[in-house]
Amino acid sequence: MSPTAVLYVAQAIHGLAYGMLLFLVASGLTLIFGMMGILNIAHASFAMLAAYFCFQVLQMTGNFWATLLIAPLFAGICGVLTERFLLRTVHKHGHLAELLITVGIMTLILELVKLFWGTESLVVKIPQNLSGLLKIAGLTYPVYRLFVIGVSIMVLGFMALILYKTRLGKIVQAAVSDADMVSALGINTPLVFMLVFGIGIWLAGVAGAVAAPLLTVFPGMADQLGMDAFVVVVVGGFGSLLGAFIVALFLGELNAYGIQFIPRLAPVLMFAFMALVLAFKPTGLFGERQ
Amino acid sequence: MRDKLCKWILWGVVVILVAILPRLVSFYYLNFFIAFAIFSLYAVTLNLLLGYMGVLSFGHAMFFGTGAYAAALALTHIQGFSLLPTVLVGGLAGGLLALILSPLLVRVSGTAFAMLTLAFSQLIFVVALKYREVTGGEDGIGGYPIPPLNIPGLVSIDMTDKINFYYFAIAIVAICIFILWFYTKTPFGSLIVGVRDNALRLDYLGFNLPQTKAINLTVCGTFAGIAGAVHALLMKLVSTVGVLDINTSFAPIMMAYIGGVGSFFGPIIGSAVLHILEDVVIRFTERIGLVNGAIFILVVLFAPMGLVGLFGTAKAKLFHRERAS
Repeated sequence: MSPTAVLYVAQAIHGLAYGMLLFLVASGLTLIFGMMGILNIAHASFAMLAAYFCFQVLQMTGNFWATLLIAPLFAGICGVLTERFLLRTVHKHGHLAELLITVGIMTLILELVKLFWGTESLVVKIPQNLSGLLKIAGLTYPVYRLFVIGVSIMVLGFMALILYKTRLGKIVQAAVSDADMVSALGINTPLVFMLVFGIGIWLAGVAGAVAAPLLTVFPGMADQLGMDAFVVVVVGGFGSLLGAFIVALFLGELNAYGIQFIPRLAPVLMFAFMALVLAFKPTGLFGERQ
Repeated sequence: MRDKLCKWILWGVVVILVAILPRLVSFYYLNFFIAFAIFSLYAVTLNLLLGYMGVLSFGHAMFFGTGAYAAALALTHIQGFSLLPTVLVGGLAGGLLALILSPLLVRVSGTAFAMLTLAFSQLIFVVALKYREVTGGEDGIGGYPIPPLNIPGLVSIDMTDKINFYYFAIAIVAICIFILWFYTKTPFGSLIVGVRDNALRLDYLGFNLPQTKAINLTVCGTFAGIAGAVHALLMKLVSTVGVLDINTSFAPIMMAYIGGVGSFFGPIIGSAVLHILEDVVIRFTERIGLVNGAIFILVVLFAPMGLVGLFGTAKAKLFHRERAS
């Protein structure tokens, strides 16, 4: 293959890896929004929290695989507690209060992270067998990015299986379209809400933990990941998983090629794309409601 | 009658206090008070959207920051640009931005509105960060001259003098807040509350909803821009992190919420509370964000109508008890 073609393919895989990470974060965000009507501003903050947990657990145990399991789980537990004790309390004051409480949580997580781990970037080391380069069909590629793509696909496949093949998944799907009706049918929706919130945060946590070696762990991580995830959810349409998937991959590629060709405008491209979509379809590409 | 007299006396006391403040406190607190006033105006414009029209502007910093940058750019590049036009340019820039965005913003409400404003403010933040030829990037724009207040044929007041600037800034803020207060009392102000309460009904009554929203947005953008311009004059430095970043967007939301959404003077109280809190907390710990965040969560949890709401409930309970006994 010619060097330019290699570059193109490498950027494509870069974009794919970032797009998958983005979708891990955005899928939880869009599910939570679809079901509970809460736009969780703190979503990416939980991903960042998981990344810090990843750093901490790795330091204590030294086992990367165990870390990858434990860190998102901790984040998920934090999410469940948040839902139970904060969001449910303000539920009666409406969506705006819920939105604002997530703003407060975002600030708190940011400050706590700074308090415990400081403001400098922390490096998470990748284990030996993931840190090499892989040669496929004439181009070398870092194994870890392929690993990220693999993990994302695995987690998402698993989630899709639950969502579309189990009873719980059916309940969740029904609750996304009409939570009141599901509640009226005798299903304990608060419990389902708590579960979905926890799982959404867990997904974000997986993204955060997996991204930790890639992006390095620092307090600005949530801003970067969060804005991109919001754009994905808004453009894809609130509550639409398919929309989030397509837009996440598209944005990942847009980002990768944007950085290569017009580095100064790369972040602007994303927002410009969003403005363009919203100008013609305020509900997002695949959404049915605002 | 007695109520009215009390009100006038109260206002009189406030005016006298504000007037003699420079004689009472040091320059540090003078700056502190000007910052409080600027953020009060800024928070009031946010509350006009949040409390009156019922939409959350999550990227309000874009109006504030655009105003500040416009003022700084005008002062840097135009020789002998005078003071009042600087403030006006700030307002114009903020208003223009709101006007440009309004065709998009009026189509959405609720969470989508919040997201859209957040996205646009991030867009402007990134643009300001990247186009360092114009905006100076992270360093921002500094070192522009602060022009004197010229009233042709009468006086020329030096604005580098802190006390003079204090009177000027307070006067501008007070006039703006008065205009906004008057604005909420006009029929159009009621119309905006109507948009919040029952937009569908207003639509049926024949009012033009998108235009109404757009006008209110533009008004809010304009006055937020003025606040930004005065901020630029106060700080003598405009940088992305100071006026355009996400914390600048969150600050007025917190102020409005802590003071009381929907009450006109609530955000001013919230601004005072947050500024005083910051001044006190910083003596004990550097973690202002932690304290602010915790207080914000507590307010949203337990006092959804803010301090003004709490005061109202307390008053109602008190009077109720009096009547019962």
